[in-house]
Formats: sequence, structure tokens, C-alpha cells
Amino acid sequence: MDEKTKRAIRTGIILAFIFIVVGLLVYSRVMAYSFAPQLKQADLHGLPLWQIPIAYLIDYFSHGWICLLFAFTVAGLIYEFVPKEAITKYMGSSKALGYGLALVMAPFLTVCSCTMVPLFGGVLYAGAGIGPAITFLLMAPAANILTILLTGEMISWEVAGVRIIASATVALAAGIIISKTPWGKAVEKEHQIANAASASAKIEIVKPPLDERLLAALKFAGYLAKQILPFFLLGLIAVSYVSAFLPEDIVGAYLTGVAGILIASVLGGPLYTPTLVEVVLGKAMWDLGMSKGALLSWLMGQPYDVANALAVSRIAKWKVVLTYMFIAWIGSVIFGLLYGFLTGSL
Amino acid sequence: MKEVKVEVIGPEPPCMRCQAAKKAVEKAAEKLKQAGIMVNIEKVNIMSKNVVQKYGVLISPAIAINDTVKVMGRVPNPEEVEKLLREAAK
Repeated sequence: MDEKTKRAIRTGIILAFIFIVVGLLVYSRVMAYSFAPQLKQADLHGLPLWQIPIAYLIDYFSHGWICLLFAFTVAGLIYEFVPKEAITKYMGSSKALGYGLALVMAPFLTVCSCTMVPLFGGVLYAGAGIGPAITFLLMAPAANILTILLTGEMISWEVAGVRIIASATVALAAGIIISKTPWGKAVEKEHQIANAASASAKIEIVKPPLDERLLAALKFAGYLAKQILPFFLLGLIAVSYVSAFLPEDIVGAYLTGVAGILIASVLGGPLYTPTLVEVVLGKAMWDLGMSKGALLSWLMGQPYDVANALAVSRIAKWKVVLTYMFIAWIGSVIFGLLYGFLTGSL
Repeated sequence: MKEVKVEVIGPEPPCMRCQAAKKAVEKAAEKLKQAGIMVNIEKVNIMSKNVVQKYGVLISPAIAINDTVKVMGRVPNPEEVEKLLREAAK
């Protein structure tokens, strides 16, 4: 068999696999099959302590595996096929374009957290300045592909959509505001490099053949799964106890109304782990009676998680970090209130 | 003996994917040594100003061969790197 046929066959096999994954998701949609765990608090409550996580995990994975498989596969594919060099080339060029690209492309570029802070530095140094860099930084975790897919499939696509719009607005506002503050300007001045834009001449990306790219995409999906799933499992075990023991009246009393939004928004940051657990935990608390507004605030808590802030503070000053954390927090409260008010679920 | 300069560009401390990229380059270099091509591998910090000035905004891991970025945001396999290095040595 010659090289060409071999490649064609390999491409065919991988494409078939991808179609099956997508097909499974579509099929489950058509059959109106839910990916979320079905066990109710009463079911879990009666079990011995050690059986609770087991029952919950079996329940979760028997429903959720299609969703997870789909999310990881799609994330891998998008990351591989998104035209990275075109984006990086323009990200440094002008302010307006910088903001636009930061908003639109951030979700696709940063399924892997180790690329985020370097990209923040690159955008800051290379010309677009602190505004787009901050917008990118806040948008990336708030709307990454994996999280959005999981939010949409497990909670609802309405919440996922609102979450994207809210995150984008807050990220843009934070970028613009910080670029106007004296301390933001100081950081920008300190780091900006003159005429870095001419550098793009030195980039000639080589593209491997299609079968290798597809394989690389699946490999990356596997890498993501390996990184995230262990923590996800631990998180699910914690969620199983929350579902079993957190009394509905406490959720009803503290996670609804204006106070509920405030509490959810404050908890969302420190409890955020970049492992999708926040989605499952959000879903569990929503089932127990958390309001839609509080749910949105909770989900929007990620931009001010601590690990991220530490990494960024090494480049930008603490003042900048605190400013964007504050804006992100205010944003999550405002959008929580707005969403709760508009949907009548405050 | 021909020489090729390779920069593996990633964050410090290196992330897992950058280490994988560096390993691929090292494997390819090992093979090329027998073919009489010297490969100088350098690990460069993506956040340093020199790198940004030279290449602009990059997505890690990136691999630059003789001062031209050839691979960005993915981990190539050793065979692919070997091919690229052979071309560069011509």
C-alpha cells in the first residue's frame, strides 16, 4: 500500500470516529435524553455514606459520558484547526482589532490553561496593550469551549448563552476601564515594546497532512481529558455529598434573592477549579433550589480565581489584578441580578 | 558539519506540552547527529521581551528553526521535526 492510500484510510477512520461522537450527541438530543444525573436527594440520603459517591458517579457517567466525550473531542478539534497564526498576527496590531479578537478567539485558544498567561503577556508586550490583554485574560476561562459545552448540555443552553454574553461584556468593560486607569497605563508603558509588529515576517507555520492533524486533535483531546478528569472525579465525589446532605431550605434561604446572588458571586471565585466541577456543582445546587440569577453569578466567578491572579500579578502590578477582580465581581453581581430579574428567578 | 539552531518557546516553568515538544526536538536531534547535522537546542521563555520583540505574539509551545517559527500551539512528533530540521540544514 502506498503512503497516500494509507493516509486516506487513516483520515477516514478518524473522521468516522468523529461522526459517531457527534452522531451520539445528536441522537441523544433527538431522543430528549438528559445528561445530568437523575438521582434525587431522597434517593441518595438513604444510602450508607460510602455508597453515596459510587451511586452518584454511576448515575453521572451513565448519563454524562456522551457529553464529556463530545466536549473533549470538539475542544481538541477546534484547538487544532483554529488558524492560530492569523490570530496572533493581528492580536498585536491595533486596539479595536485587539479587543475584538480577544473576545471572539479567547474561548477557542485556551482550553489549555498553560497558554493563557503567556498569551496575556504577548498581547501586552506586542502592541495591543493592557486593555485587550485584560479582556483576553477574563474572557478565556469564562467562556472556554469545554465549560460552555458542559454548561449547555448539563444545565441549559439558555444559561450557557447568557453566560457568554455576560462574560464578554464584563471582560470588555474591565479591559477598557483598566486601560484608562493610571496604574494600568503605567504597566502598559513599562512593558510595551516598540515596533514588535514587524516580527510576523519570521513566522512560517508548517501544516502537517490532514490525517496527522486529526490524530493530533484527538491526542490533544485525550491530553485534556487526562488533565481534567482526575480532578473532575474528586469534584463529583464532593458534589455527591452536597446533593445528598445540603438541605433544600438552606439553599432556598441563602442562595436566592439579592443576598443569594451576593453569596454565590463571592463563593464562585475561591471555589473555582478549572476542572468543570463548578458546572456540576452549580447544577446540583440549582436542583436544590438556587435561583437562576445566583446560578449565573456562581458560574461567572471564575475570572477572579486565585491561581490565575498570582500568575498575572508577576507581570502586571497587584493594583491591576485587584481592579480586574473587582470589576469581574461587580459584573457577576449585576448580571446575576439582571438575569434573575428578567427571568423572574431571583 | 552543518548546524541548525532550534528554539523551543514556552512559558517558565515549562508546561507539560512544552516539555513534550522539547523531547520531540531532542529525539530528532539525536537521529540527525548520525547524519552529520548538529542541532543546538535552546529553551526560550515565551514571556521574555526578547522573544516577543523577535516573533510577536505566540501560542505555546512554539518551535523556531533558524530564527523562523515553524510550529505553534501544538506538539509535533519527532519524525516531523526531523524532516523540518533536514530541510533547514540543506
